[in-house]
Parts: sequence; C-alpha cells; structure tokens
Amino acid sequence: MNTEKFLELLANGKNDTDFEEFLKFVSDKLWNQYNKHLMDEILMTENKVNGIALNLPNASENKPYEQTIDFGDTKIAIERVDGLSAETHGLNVTVCDDKKSFKIAGTPDLNPIRNAGTEIESTFELTVFYKYEGLCLPPKKPLLERKLQLVINQDPRYLWKNIPVDWEKMSDPKYEKEDADCQYVTVKALPDGTPQKDIVAASKRGRSHAQEGKPRDDDFQLYHDEQTNWYVIAVADGAGSAKFSREGSRLACNVTVEVCKKALSNCEKFEENINLWHIDQKSEDAGKLVSTDIYNILGKAAHKAHTEINAEAAREKNRPKDYATTLLLAICKKFDFGWFIASFWVGDGAMCLYDKENHTSVLLGTPDEGEYGGQTRFLTMPEIFANPTDFFSRLKCRIVPDFTALFLMSDGVSDPKFETDVNLNSTEKWNALWDDLKDNGVELTDDNEAAKEQLLNWLDFWAPGNHDDRTIAILY
Amino acid sequence: MRRLPVYLLLDVSGSMRGEPIAAVNAGVKALVEALRTDPYALETAFLSIIPFNNTVEQSVPLTELYKIKPPELEAKQGTYLGKALKFLSATAEREVVKSSKEKKGDWKPIVFIMTDGKSGDKIAKALTDFNKSLFSQIVVCAYGNEANIVDLKLITENVIRLDNIDGETIKSFFKWVSASISTSSHSANDNHGDEQPISDLPPLPSSFSFVI
Repeated sequence: MNTEKFLELLANGKNDTDFEEFLKFVSDKLWNQYNKHLMDEILMTENKVNGIALNLPNASENKPYEQTIDFGDTKIAIERVDGLSAETHGLNVTVCDDKKSFKIAGTPDLNPIRNAGTEIESTFELTVFYKYEGLCLPPKKPLLERKLQLVINQDPRYLWKNIPVDWEKMSDPKYEKEDADCQYVTVKALPDGTPQKDIVAASKRGRSHAQEGKPRDDDFQLYHDEQTNWYVIAVADGAGSAKFSREGSRLACNVTVEVCKKALSNCEKFEENINLWHIDQKSEDAGKLVSTDIYNILGKAAHKAHTEINAEAAREKNRPKDYATTLLLAICKKFDFGWFIASFWVGDGAMCLYDKENHTSVLLGTPDEGEYGGQTRFLTMPEIFANPTDFFSRLKCRIVPDFTALFLMSDGVSDPKFETDVNLNSTEKWNALWDDLKDNGVELTDDNEAAKEQLLNWLDFWAPGNHDDRTIAILY
Repeated sequence: MRRLPVYLLLDVSGSMRGEPIAAVNAGVKALVEALRTDPYALETAFLSIIPFNNTVEQSVPLTELYKIKPPELEAKQGTYLGKALKFLSATAEREVVKSSKEKKGDWKPIVFIMTDGKSGDKIAKALTDFNKSLFSQIVVCAYGNEANIVDLKLITENVIRLDNIDGETIKSFFKWVSASISTSSHSANDNHGDEQPISDLPPLPSSFSFVI
C-alpha cells in the first residue's frame, strides 16, 4: 500500500479542512500520550535510582576524605555532579571513566564559607545528573537528577569560643579570678656558683570554661623561704560542677601554703628528725618521728584548709561541696645528703618526682579516680579526714640524692598527657613530658623567669576532648 | 579520651504512626545537626539510638557524633518499655568503658527516653534488671495523654510531659535534648556524702609510718 492509498483511507471521504483538523486532533492526543508515557518512564527510573542505597560516610574538616560512590546500575551514565568544589569545600568531585560511579576526594576545608561570614551548615547537598540507557529524555529535561546529602563536620577548633567572664553580672560572692596566672620563683645560685632549684607555675582557664564564659577553677601557690631554704608548692583543681570551686581551690592553696610557711620558718626539730631518719632509714623510731612531723605540718595544713573552706561556706550560707576542690601539696628542702620531699594529695591530677639521669619517676601518691570519668575525691569531703588509714595514705615522704623535676599538675594537664594510671607510672611518659616541654618552647634553665610565660603558652596544647582548666607547677 | 555516651531510647510503637514518628525522625536529625556545631559534643559525644516497640534493637550502636547518620524510624506494634529498659541497661553495661589502670573510663552516660503510651509490660518488674547507677542522668519525655506518668516516675524523677504530640512540640523537645547534652557535665560528679565538717584530725595510730 502506498502513502496516497493510506491517506485516502484515513481521510475517510472527508474534505481537506475536516481531515486536517482530524489529523491535528489525533497527533496531539498521541503525542500527549507519548509524553505522558515518557514522563512515567522517567519517574519510574528516577524512583528506581533514588532507591539505590549509596554509602556516603560523613566527612570531617581537615581530615583527608576519599570515597567512590558506585550506583551499581549498568544503565546509568553520570554526566556531572554539582554541589561541591575544591574552592569552597576543599573537595573535588570527578565522574569515573565508567560513568557509573563518581569520586569525592580531598581534604575538606570550610574556611572559604567561614570567611565569607555565612553560617556554616554541616550538611551539603549534591546533585548527580545522569542519563539512563534506553530512556529517551525530552529537551526540557535532558538529564535525570539524584540528590545526595554529604555531611562535613566542622573542625572543632573553629567552634571553640573564648568568652570573657562577665564579673559585673556574676552573682555574689563573685570570687573574682583571672583567666590565667603564672609565677616564677627564682632562687639565686649560691656564692660558689652552684645553681639552686627554681619553681615555675602556670594556670589557664580551659576551653570548656571559655566556651561558656565561666571562670577558671584551678589555682596554685608557690613559696620559697630564703632563710630556711624550704620550698612549698600547692596546686588545686576546683570541681567544675561546684559553683564556688574557684574559691575552694584558692583557699586550699593559700591556707596550706600559709600553714607550711609558718611551720617551716622554725623547724629545727623537724630537720633533726629528717637527719636521724636519713642516717638510718630503716629505723622505725626515726620514721615515726618524721611521720609525726609531716602529719603535723601537711596533715594539719590540709585540715585547716578544709576547715576554712567550711567556714567560708557557712559565712556565705553555701554548702561546703559548692567549694569542692582537689589538693596537691609538696614541701621540700635540699640537705647535705640530698633532698627531702614530703607531700599530701587528695583528688586527681598528678604529683611526680622525676629523675631524668637515673631514669626514674615516682608518683607521690595515688590519684583518686572512680570507675567512670570525673569521679574523684575532694578536700571538702569530711570522709577524707574520717578514716585514719585512708588519710595517712595521702601523706608521703622520701629522701633522694637529687632529681630533675618535681611536677604537680591538675588533671587538665595529666589527663591529656598521661590518660591512664599505667602511663602515670611510666618513666617513659615522664621523659616524653619533659621533652614535650622543651620542644615546645619551655626553657627550664636556671633562673629563667621567662619560663613562666613559656609555660603558660605551652598550656594551650591541643588534645581533643580535653579542655579542662590546666595548671602545672615544676620545681627544677 | 573520655567519651560522653548518650542513649536515645525511642518509642516507635504503632500509636506513633504519622506525624509523631516523622517529627521524631526530624527531631533526631535536628539533634545531631545541632550537636555538630558544639565543639565539646563533636569531640566527645557518642550517640546510640535504640528504637523499641514489641521488640527492641540498637539501630545505631554507640558511635562518634561526627560519624552518625540518623536512621529513618518506622512506627508499628506495641509499647514494651520494660523490655527496652532491660536492653538499655545491658547495652550500656557492655558498651560504656569503666576506668582501669590501662584505660581512661567514659563519662557516665546520659539517657533520653521518649514514649507516648502505656507500657505493654511491667516497668516496675523490669527495673529490677535496670542498673540505674550506670547513668549520670535519665530523662523521660512523655507525650500525649496516654503515657502512664506514675509508672514513668519509677524510672526517674526527671519526667517531662509534653501535652501535644505535634511536630513543633517534639522538635522543641529535641532542641532541649541537644542543649542538655551540650551543657551536660564534663566536670566532676558530686559524690559528696555527709556535709558535716570534721571537728579535728583523727589521732595518729602509734604503729603508723607512711614513708614510701
């Protein structure tokens, strides 16, 4: 059958005008049907492709990321992927040669967005444009789309804020305290040029407190007696959960150092006992005499601090536990035969006598830690003093020929640097800390007053999840 | 590093069908999204999502916040909170790390429980197998009028009641949850006992020597 015959049959004897109208009608109808069919096909295909489970793990800023996303459908031909760029996100997106998959790679960097002053969302939308084999696409929709969400976590370093404490608005009692503090106690070399040990200490508000505009809760106090040559060092860490712990820690340091200062200004008997004990360290009698002295000095100092904190709490009609604080306290002196060191410790943190030359490190007690993070004991707890065995186990003393450094630190430093009890007892770890200080700008050389600022700067070290107040005191 | 474990125990029973479950899903997403902007949460929070109905399973095991991809939860069946509580207790017991000489322990976990109905099983009975001391904070959010507040109070004093069960209310609850996680204590737990000051030091035992 030729075309003419076909048209004649189709015209069905109608005139040209009618036939034209008829053809238009049929054509429109069929095209509509065809387009609808196409759109259905497209919809079905898109639904099918949208249903393909794709594994797109979250990315993190400044951490290298590489992920190939494979649709696993042989009919897909990816044209391009929009939504991410090296310039804006630090991530490149490339379609793989097989066109069935694409790759996201790079080190995410959100600074371009951050610098533009826009608020950063952590979820970014990607659009994958693709063709599908066997599917005819109309000009108004030349490509199919699949949306995907990629999470880029911001680097937490950019999220920490440093909000000053609003002392004006702080409710009374304010117990105002600086966000940072540092001190250097220079003990000049002897006339013959022999250097004498100095003390350096620094204390800084933690990022977690800075983030909320809360004050520093840690404290420290240093003392050196020019006449008797006794050193006294106290470090205290006020509990973050206790409202006035910044005052608790201040009182703990001040009161104990004051008591020791007084006791040590006139202590010939104590020094005689130390001498006796030195001569015969196995002597039970000498041991007891020294123990009693330490008990009377450090034990009473700790108890006086406990009592004064209670008194302050009562004055202000607060609970003693609102002043909860730990305490690390050490006294020491150089004798002809070597160094005598005595200490008292309640709570967490670390107190250690470190000797680099002889490769030894001795913890001056045991940190109080519970089964879970953050559980410790405080000077403000009556039970600290209630059980004699428990209380005496907090007092320690020893004689050593010499040492490199005596460290006292709050858990803001010991947690990130040591993490576990096992590490606290590892001399390797103390070596590492000693090197860490040296390698990061803290020059622990004789009479170097600048070390106090250096130590304060050192306290800014980065350790994820460890943003408590940090305090460290070093006798070296 | 010490982790801060956060458990979400979510009711996905049939009565949650429709707007409520959609709101819970959106809420979990918003919660995760909000926490992503908190540096402390981002560095330390670990989240676990445990949906429950007739059965209970951990749809997201304890996972670093930055890795979390919130699931799409479906609502069906009944509310078996007792079973879910037992499961939660056993899961936390297994997942949460306690301090030892070799390892730093986690912070005590925080739990948020959301339910809209009466429990199909006995809560009081289940609580005998629920180790409350594992958690630092348990918050129950009850919404709608069906929830049995008296029973829920057996779990914790912290029962929050939302009268409406619409999307906005659930969203605002999740907003509050994220704020609580953010501010949640990373400071020392108060284990204070008696607050009476001791009048004086105990006497020194005669045989005692604390020389090391």
